[in-house]
Amino acid sequence: MSPALRAFLRSPPGILGVALLLVVLFAALSADWFFPRDPLSLAGRPLQWPGQNPRLLLGTDNLGRDIAGFICHGARVSLLIGLVATVVAVGLGTLVGAIAGFYGGWVDDALMRVTEAFQTVPNFILLLVLVAVFGSELEVITIAIGLVGWTAPCRLVRAEFMSLRTREYVLAARGLGVRDAGLIFREILPNALPPVIVYASVVMAVAILMESALAFLGLSDPNIASWGNMIGAGRSVLRTEWYVSAIPGVAILVTVLAFSLVGQGLNDALNPRLQAV
Amino acid sequence: MQTTRRQVLVAGSALAVAGGGPAFGQAPQRGGTLTVQLTSEQRVLNPAIQASTGVYVMASKIVEPLVDLDAQGEPVGVLAERWEGSADGLTHTFHLRRGVQWHDGKPFVAKDVQFSAMECWKKILNYGTTLYQFLEAVQTPDEHTAVFRFSKPMPQGLLLRALPDLGHVIPAHVYAGTDIRTNPANTAPIGTGPFVFKQYERGQYLIAERNPNYWRGNGQPYLDRIVWRFISDRAAASAALESGQVQFSPYSGLALSDISRLSKDARYTVSTRGNEGNTAHTVMEMNLRRAELAKVEVRRALCHALDLGFFIENFLYGYAKLGTGPIPSSSAPFYVPRSAPYPFDRAKAERMLDDAGYKRPSRGAMRFAQPLKLLPAPWGEYTVNFATFIQQSLREIGVRVEIEARDAPGFLTGVYRDHNFDLTTGWHQYRNDPAVSTTVWFRTGSPVGAPWTNQYGYDNPAMDRAIDVAATELDPTKRKALYQDFVKLAVDDVPVHCAVEHAFISVYSKRLMGSHNTPRWSSSSWHDAWLAPA
Repeated sequence: MSPALRAFLRSPPGILGVALLLVVLFAALSADWFFPRDPLSLAGRPLQWPGQNPRLLLGTDNLGRDIAGFICHGARVSLLIGLVATVVAVGLGTLVGAIAGFYGGWVDDALMRVTEAFQTVPNFILLLVLVAVFGSELEVITIAIGLVGWTAPCRLVRAEFMSLRTREYVLAARGLGVRDAGLIFREILPNALPPVIVYASVVMAVAILMESALAFLGLSDPNIASWGNMIGAGRSVLRTEWYVSAIPGVAILVTVLAFSLVGQGLNDALNPRLQAV
Repeated sequence: MQTTRRQVLVAGSALAVAGGGPAFGQAPQRGGTLTVQLTSEQRVLNPAIQASTGVYVMASKIVEPLVDLDAQGEPVGVLAERWEGSADGLTHTFHLRRGVQWHDGKPFVAKDVQFSAMECWKKILNYGTTLYQFLEAVQTPDEHTAVFRFSKPMPQGLLLRALPDLGHVIPAHVYAGTDIRTNPANTAPIGTGPFVFKQYERGQYLIAERNPNYWRGNGQPYLDRIVWRFISDRAAASAALESGQVQFSPYSGLALSDISRLSKDARYTVSTRGNEGNTAHTVMEMNLRRAELAKVEVRRALCHALDLGFFIENFLYGYAKLGTGPIPSSSAPFYVPRSAPYPFDRAKAERMLDDAGYKRPSRGAMRFAQPLKLLPAPWGEYTVNFATFIQQSLREIGVRVEIEARDAPGFLTGVYRDHNFDLTTGWHQYRNDPAVSTTVWFRTGSPVGAPWTNQYGYDNPAMDRAIDVAATELDPTKRKALYQDFVKLAVDDVPVHCAVEHAFISVYSKRLMGSHNTPRWSSSSWHDAWLAPA
């Protein structure tokens, strides 16, 4: 067992996070098995309270959809959005940050001005603009969420690269004739990654929240079962049938919490300063 | 739960019938401010150039029509005292009320009627441009007589039922010689009504104050002031009502769940009474440009797939009934009882699609190669939830529907200008006579882009003929019979499925008296409304 893994397993938040994540993953993977019907279809009379009808465990929302089925199918959408958006954000951020940090000088200046241009616009406002321009299909939303979140990982990677590029092992590799691409990806990047991996868990949680916020405003793809869609639909019955918004809200809370805790565990495992103690 | 809700609704309507409630029989009291909540504003306060309940709900307290409807739904004179029509239907004479003053002190005369009719109703007003297209001239033999001359017969009944909506009179001395569409009086109206325009803050409020020189006299109007507040968030609107900041929410302005909740609250009246003249249909429109939907059997099959009874009971809290055709059951002069034309029958719908050549490729598979694109009309819960219900229902018969949500301008352009849709939901309002704003959904010839017209590409010469013949028939009995031909064609061809019929719901404090006593009360002048002490 590697020391990092052992450290991770010693961290209580990490264990709890992984456990919650497994629950969400199980819901996502078993959705078709337990709830074979389309989650958007009419399952019964709308606004049945949880437990009122044994066939509908968590009741129905104001559009007659089975909330339990919707939550399980929604887990797929949320995880998918979280994963893909994080890959886009962290991938793009790492690439730009690596180039800026490695070369420095005018390349760094140019790329950082672009990053700042993105950072001056609040993330969610930028997301609204992108969705308004390019439409609200699931693919567009996922990529848009990734695009608005790339600047923080970019800054992080840049800082790591700036401190690592003058280390002796890098200079040695350069002396051995390793090209720039090799230096960036094989020598420096693996050593710059730990903080990025920790941060990725935050990006993933934020991505899920952003999609929910979009759906809450009625701007997400209405043809998919996403948790935010159900919260948005339940808003009009909030005073009387609060569970319609509360149940998917809890689902989001659990998922976001799971990712944050995993991030905490990763931090405990990968942070060299903590290991030293 | 189901029985409980139904019982509650019955109890609610019983309360509504009792109407006056605690203060029944009390004499009207002068004074007080009535605050009204509105979900949106149209930024036009001139009902002579824009026909819409959103305009009337504010402007008709300031600007009055020639004729309105009384408690029985019969025409009653407002600015016109009496009228007569010639036997050939070409001439209609209105004798105008004497001694009426505009809010700026000038006398109201026949020239004002002439100007309003010829320059506004005929040239600018939506629906008016169709209704008054054969209006040749308005003659003014003296200051208190206006003679309408038509080049084709105009049934008197149609004209009188159209005038409450399409007959508001604006002052000629303010508008003559100006660009009517940009005249500042459009947002600071000058009228003859019981309330005088005071202040309009866009996005916030409109204030009108009591007109001390109102022609009805007798202490009317009773209210000192009316404030309309624009509260678009429905949750905030119900909170404002419950905290007493607002006394009246017209035109189904609250969330249906809140309406249902408030109907159990003894402080409020929740009712459709007083809105019978503003009946609307929640409809499903089908674009005939789409190959599958061009076949009438397919359109009928889709209609059979909708369990509308379930939809009304569970999605609309019972505040609606099954639609039977483009003329609603609330229209006594034109409605002939019919049953709902497309009862829910999923097996039949599947069979009809099979027979039309759209078999499922395999069990559980979808019938059409491409999903149907559905643009939900963004007018609130009725049209948005109906879109979801259509999506859910059609999936069961093997037709996939994809919903594309848009805001109001995007929806209007997408549907009425670009025709970029397969299905859409909508809210069609019926205004007292089919020729006012109903037949236009089925007739050809509307300009591209004009909202609330026939833009699904429906074209049937027999239908055009039926509409034209009925619109110029003078004998009311024959006219009613002719409109049954129109209804039959509209229902059989079904380019628009008039699925659900509902009156708008008013929610108001029991303190509001003298209200909801005419069929289009929210759009009337409120001259006899008053507030009981809190």
